[in-house]
Order: sequence, then structure tokens, then C-alpha cells
Amino acid sequence: MNCEQYQDLLSDFIDGSLTPSDHETVEAHLGVCGVCAEARSDLNSIVSFCREHRGEYEAVPNEGALWLRISNIIESQSGVSSPAVVPAEAGWWFRLMNRHWQLSFPQLASGVAAIVLVVSLLAVIGARRFSGSGVQSSGLSLASTGSSVQDRYRQRQQVIAYWNDRVELNKARWNPQMRETFDRNMSVIDAAVNDSLSQLTQNPHDEISEEILNGALNDKIQLLQEFSQL
Amino acid sequence: MNIYSPATVSRMRNIAALLAFLFALGLPVSVSAQQKVSRHFPAGKNVRLELKNISGTITVETWAREEIKITASMEAPTARFNPRQTDAGLVIDVVSDNRGRNDVGDVNFKVQVPARSSVDLETRRGQITVSNIQGDLVRAHVSTEGTIELSGINAARVFASNTIGDIYFDGEFASGGTYEFKSGQGTITLRLPANCGFRLVAMAPAKKISMGQFWHNGMKLLGDGRKITGDVGDGRASVTVTNYQGNINFLRR
Repeated sequence: MNCEQYQDLLSDFIDGSLTPSDHETVEAHLGVCGVCAEARSDLNSIVSFCREHRGEYEAVPNEGALWLRISNIIESQSGVSSPAVVPAEAGWWFRLMNRHWQLSFPQLASGVAAIVLVVSLLAVIGARRFSGSGVQSSGLSLASTGSSVQDRYRQRQQVIAYWNDRVELNKARWNPQMRETFDRNMSVIDAAVNDSLSQLTQNPHDEISEEILNGALNDKIQLLQEFSQL
Repeated sequence: MNIYSPATVSRMRNIAALLAFLFALGLPVSVSAQQKVSRHFPAGKNVRLELKNISGTITVETWAREEIKITASMEAPTARFNPRQTDAGLVIDVVSDNRGRNDVGDVNFKVQVPARSSVDLETRRGQITVSNIQGDLVRAHVSTEGTIELSGINAARVFASNTIGDIYFDGEFASGGTYEFKSGQGTITLRLPANCGFRLVAMAPAKKISMGQFWHNGMKLLGDGRKITGDVGDGRASVTVTNYQGNINFLRR
């Protein structure tokens, strides 16, 4: 056995719950190993203290009073050390960094809520600024349209890209006439998409253009899906 | 001055004669390559036909017999056509039957059904003509180009859509029914009886909506005339018409 394994047995050794042979082995080791003997001594003193004061710490008489005492001790200690540590001519950053913060739970919760609120506001402002740069597609920009239109447009474009890939895989198999027909009809739908995007660029709140845009994008997806089966 | 030798001229004449002979032989061969298949199916209590084509015309007519007759003219002899009769009705799916084939060509269908039938028709390309159906559903969808003609229709639900090509509807709107017409580029014409009632949403970004005698001051003209909404008569049928680049015309019968 090594020292770690002997130290694992120390608790049982002190309690007297080891088998006689194990007890003898551990005792022999403690006689020759200073480190383990010291560990036994520490553990022994803890166990003795606990045995002596058994029953004294079973119930906290008044939790509030106890917390107040602890708080007072901490406050008194920090109050003593602060003036000595922070010099009078120290800058605001030094003072801020060397200040001892003590917050109650409601204060802490309020602080966290405030941080969340500020971060959310910054995120919204950032997103609006980002959206101000516009989504470029089909040669047109959705620069000033609402973010929901842009989001939907982006989602649709992703779906269109997926089905377009599927169609491109099969396209080579179609006869030339079918390919021409597909391309010609796709251009009609693309024209409807571009027209409505153009209208939305001029008037971001034009509900009719938004409706047409959604319809045309859905039609494009449907056309791609139908031709992906061929 | 003749630049060819007599032997060359003679050889050219022979080749021309041979080509003419081969052409004369080949013409009837190409005609006879059109395969025509007819099948008859018993009509159940609720007759429903679902037909999905790739390319070619679809013509649906009604007749007084209690059966469905399908006649298919196939341009390519390799084209497959397997009608299946299920609980839901008769299903013909040329797309599935010929998946992966590139030599299907046009398949032109002529279908005869009892008047009370519902028909759900779809083709990637080609004209759809439906007449005198009085069933629950008439759906005609051309993915790309092909005109749609629906005449003598009295169904509770009608859906017609294409990308390029005209859509013509001549029929009745049932109270509580749903009617949708949509085209990318083509004229949509709805010919209706004077006493019909419907709630309309018509949209044409090209601002070409003509309500004809169905127009009244209670209708709303929105977006500089790109959209018209309003009730005609009792307004009990729901009618939606959308045309991206073409006209929408309402005609009173």
C-alpha cells in the first residue's frame, strides 16, 4: 500500500473499525511515515473536537442573527483595511477596483436584469444597423424593408437553393424542350419576385408587394419541387 | 455552264431519289409510332380522378355512362402509363411511372367521366381542358406553360393555376365554395352568371383588373388598382384571383 491508500484508512483507524490485521499494518506504517502520522494527528483532532462539541451545533438559533453577525464581522474587517489600502490620491479606476462590493440578493437580481436589458437593447440596435446594409439578391436590395420580410426572404432563398440543387442534378436528363420551358417559366416567376422587391425598396410598407413577393417565392419553390421529381 | 460531270449529276439524282423514298417510308412510321391506349374503369359512388402528367394535353369530358374511360396517346413508345384504382379513386401518375426516363415525350389524355366526378389534374407542360363537371373538386395545375379552359363547371372547389398561358373559367360559384385562379403571365377570364355571389380578392401588380358589370362602389381598390376586394351579391363564395403580369377579366354571362 502507498501513503494515499493508508490515509484512506485513517478514518476507520481512528474509529477503531479496521480488522486487527489492518489496524496493525496501518499502525506500523504510521510509526515510520511522518506525513501519514501528521494526517492522522489532524484527523484525530477534528474528530475529537466534533465529539466534544456534539449537540452544540445541531440547530441554528436564529439564522437572521447569525447572518447579521457574519456580515458585521466582514464589514468591520473590510472597514479596517480599506482606508489603509486605498490612498487618498488614488484614481477612480483604482478606487473602483479596490472597492469591496456587498450586494443583497434583490440587488444582485436587479443588476443582472439591468445587464440583460442593456445587452438586448444593444443587440436590437446592432441588428437594425446590420439590416440597414440590405440583403442583396436578384440584383435588388431589401435595404429598407422590415426585418420580418428580410427574414422570410432569406428563409425562402435557402429553400430555393436546396431545391435548385436538386433540379440541377436532374436537368441534364431532360430533353432540350423541357429545359427551355423550365427556364422560360422560371424567368417569369423571377420577374415577379424582382418587381415586388423593387416596389418594396421604394415603399417598404407596401403590403401588396409583400404579398406578391411571398406568393412568387412560394410558386418558385413549388415549381422547383415539381421539376425535381422528373 | 455545268460544273458537275454527268456521272456526278447521275449519282446525285440517285441519292435524291433514295432520300425521297426513305422520307416517304419514314413518315408513316413516325405516325404509327404514336401509341394509343384506351382503358375503362367502373365508376364508384364517389368518382374521383387524379391525373399527373409530365407533358401533353389533358381533356376531361363528361358522359352519361357509369364508367371512366381513359384514352392516352403516347408520343414515345417507351412511355409508361399504369392507372391504379384505389379507395380514393382512379390515380394515373405518369411522373412516377416514368421516373428517371428522359424519352417520355408528350402523353395526351382524353378522359370521359360521369358528371358528378371530382378531377385533380396536373401537368408540367400542356393544355388542360375540363368541361361540364358538377362534382366537388376541379383542380387544374400546369407547372409551366399551357392554357387552362374550364367550362360548364359547377363544383364547390375550383383551383386553376399556371405560369404562362391563359386561364378561362365559365361556370357557377356555389355558396360556401372556394375558387382560386393564379397565373404568372396570361389572361385570366372568369365568365359568370349575373346572379352569382362571391367575396373577391383579386390581385394584379400590372393593374389590369376589369370587373366589368360586377363592379360596384362598395368594392375597395387598393394599391393604385393593383388589388380589388369586395363582395358581389351575397358574397358567400370565396374567390381569389392572382396574376403577376397579365390581366384579370370578369365577364357577365
